[in-house]
Amino acid sequence: MSIQTQETGCSFLSKTPDRVFSPEEFAKDEQLMIDQALQFSRKEVVPLAERIDAQEDGLMPGLIRKAGEIGFCGIDSPADHGGLGLGKNLAARILEFLSLNASFSVTYGVTSGIAQLGLSLFGTEAQRAEYLPRLASGEWIGAYALSEPNSGSDALSMSARAERQGDKWVLNGTKMWISNAKWAEFFLVMAKIDGQDVSAFLVERSFPGVSVSREEHKLGLKGSSTARLVLENAEVPLENLLYEPGKGHHVAFNALNIGRFKLAAMSLGPAREAIWEATQYAMDRKQFGRSISDFGLIRQKLADMVAHYFAVEAALYRTGANIDAAFAAHGGTVDGNRAAAEEFAVECSAVKILATEAEARIVDEALQLYGGYGFTEEFPLARIYRDCRVSRIYEGTNEINRVFLADRLKRRADAGRASLVASGDSFASELAGKAMAKFGSDQVTVGALSDLLLLTYAEQSARLRAQQVGGVAQLAYERFTNWANIQAAMAYQTVTGEPVALPSSRPGHVDELADAILATRSPI
Amino acid sequence: MKILVPVKRVVDPYAKVKPLPDGSGLDVAGVKFDVNPFDEIAVEEAVRMKERDPSVSVTVVSIGSGDCEEQLRKALAIGADEALLVETTDEMDSTVVAAELEAVVRQVGPDLVLMGKQATDDDCNQAGQMLAARLGWPQATFACKIETAQGSVRVTRETDNGEETLDVPLPAVVTTDLRLNEPRYIALPGIIKARSKPLSRQPRATTAAPKTRTIRLEPPPSRPPGRRVGSVDELVAALRERGAL
Repeated sequence: MSIQTQETGCSFLSKTPDRVFSPEEFAKDEQLMIDQALQFSRKEVVPLAERIDAQEDGLMPGLIRKAGEIGFCGIDSPADHGGLGLGKNLAARILEFLSLNASFSVTYGVTSGIAQLGLSLFGTEAQRAEYLPRLASGEWIGAYALSEPNSGSDALSMSARAERQGDKWVLNGTKMWISNAKWAEFFLVMAKIDGQDVSAFLVERSFPGVSVSREEHKLGLKGSSTARLVLENAEVPLENLLYEPGKGHHVAFNALNIGRFKLAAMSLGPAREAIWEATQYAMDRKQFGRSISDFGLIRQKLADMVAHYFAVEAALYRTGANIDAAFAAHGGTVDGNRAAAEEFAVECSAVKILATEAEARIVDEALQLYGGYGFTEEFPLARIYRDCRVSRIYEGTNEINRVFLADRLKRRADAGRASLVASGDSFASELAGKAMAKFGSDQVTVGALSDLLLLTYAEQSARLRAQQVGGVAQLAYERFTNWANIQAAMAYQTVTGEPVALPSSRPGHVDELADAILATRSPI
Repeated sequence: MKILVPVKRVVDPYAKVKPLPDGSGLDVAGVKFDVNPFDEIAVEEAVRMKERDPSVSVTVVSIGSGDCEEQLRKALAIGADEALLVETTDEMDSTVVAAELEAVVRQVGPDLVLMGKQATDDDCNQAGQMLAARLGWPQATFACKIETAQGSVRVTRETDNGEETLDVPLPAVVTTDLRLNEPRYIALPGIIKARSKPLSRQPRATTAAPKTRTIRLEPPPSRPPGRRVGSVDELVAALRERGAL
């Protein structure tokens, strides 16, 4: 994949690029990697869903090792320490296809992603050599420990402490909601040195004073491990401080920026699986002597699934290509990596919100299509439905992301690094431009502004992708835009209090889109 | 030992395809292509032999358009050492393929040609047999197990009457059946390595012309809907009614 992009962070608002990277453009051998991910998911993971949910002993670590043997656990880490250095965009596409089962996806996503990312971006040569090979091979499972019982969205208010005692750090505190805690041999832990300076530490499970509490009982993702990491006078070697004392927030938040981008990919996987299952059901299920896939309201759901998937995918892989370009231009040094990971922070939040809300919509409608059977455990949608609920909660709730998004764009503009003058080349863009002038500080206004911005981004990404791909893609774009325009009008009214006339809607294309999704049981 | 594995680029066997409106061929716009699954089994088997015995080398060959590079790279990613692409857009049938492969065999000099028993696009099941005949080599078709020995291979083949075991002196042509092995997941480092493995292109070596030609392609007539019966008696009655019994 060659990366050619002129975009900078937030430039989508003021300037529409000539083209965007679209997922059709992954090279042939990259498609082969993606295909391996799909085969692995379908054959090795999805059939075990029930056993995975029961947390059968050794099953998940075994799957991670198997994934590691194929090379999946090191796709995003540098090639000099057992990784493959594939780039963030291809790694995200592979992640999407490894995410058909959400419990596996979380386990895999954390150990291949945020558990390694801090090391990749900020680690010294010795630190990288020590830990990356074991994580990249799948021999070890990794975890990332930031949240605490009283420090969730307000992450920097953490109370975990680190004190230097002679030749070691001594850590105390409790980390909560730690994915992979049960299986992890390695934790990236955030704690405040002397209760002041947020810092990142590389902590092995076997260090004295490190323990893991019982599993949380969760609504979904029952096959993934979520538990507390307890640090009681945990002894950590001095050289296991990552980056600089007091700069742990750079490690934490950059992991979150990229983590949000990745979560978007992880959210599309279950939606893809819901489509795979529900389309087959719609063709097989006969009522009134016909397949229910012939009925108008079912076909409408199918058409909406295609349209939303298409648009979110467009925004996601456009963002990934831009992130790769930023790393190519700035990365290499620690400061450069930091700048690259921060450049598209607004877009990362946008795709996190877009993908997780599209996932919720697609999975919900897929379940609905089963009628009463969707509500039973006989069919796979009940599990997918439970599992996907958390997507809108973690990696920053969608509310936190909405507060962050418009605010961050405004700050960038105030610093002269972005323009608030909207290109106005779509309805959403036009409204976003007008509304940004009324930037307010209350959360509801900021949230609605963020909606306008992310709708602008999605519409523009889908439009450019459709232009490049043609055919049924154009229809998916138009259907998505009908929906996006209504959302934009509502958000605009929230900000300004003024009503706004909707542009006339495009044809619905229900039949063409429904036929397209039924033909392959997959998004277009 | 040197193994040659012919690899055919075929329409993804799971894709739904339709004939072109004029019946001149298939509408393959937007359709994925893959390695013929029987050939992938042959590549897998050859690579396993190489893993057991490092003196084995594996060459893969495709005959077709430049797009075949995609399938050859896949074979290289599985573990083949080098690839050869006989580049042509000519129409071909099994006789042409066998003639071209004969030329490739004489050029490459393998001890064993291992290939799919048939391709999933036209299901001819002829090229391997024709190649063996042209070369005057022994052949063993429908292999479900292959063991190597000094100067020969022992091939277990699936027949309608059960399994048959043949000792075949080398050089020979062996065609593979579905149950020979289950191809591995292709490790990502292998895919990266395949980018830099040698792949050479050359034009056709023969002027063989196809002995068959496609007149028209049309979809099979749609099947009338079935009917559910409640009991064996009802089934028998229904079959009688249609004159099937």
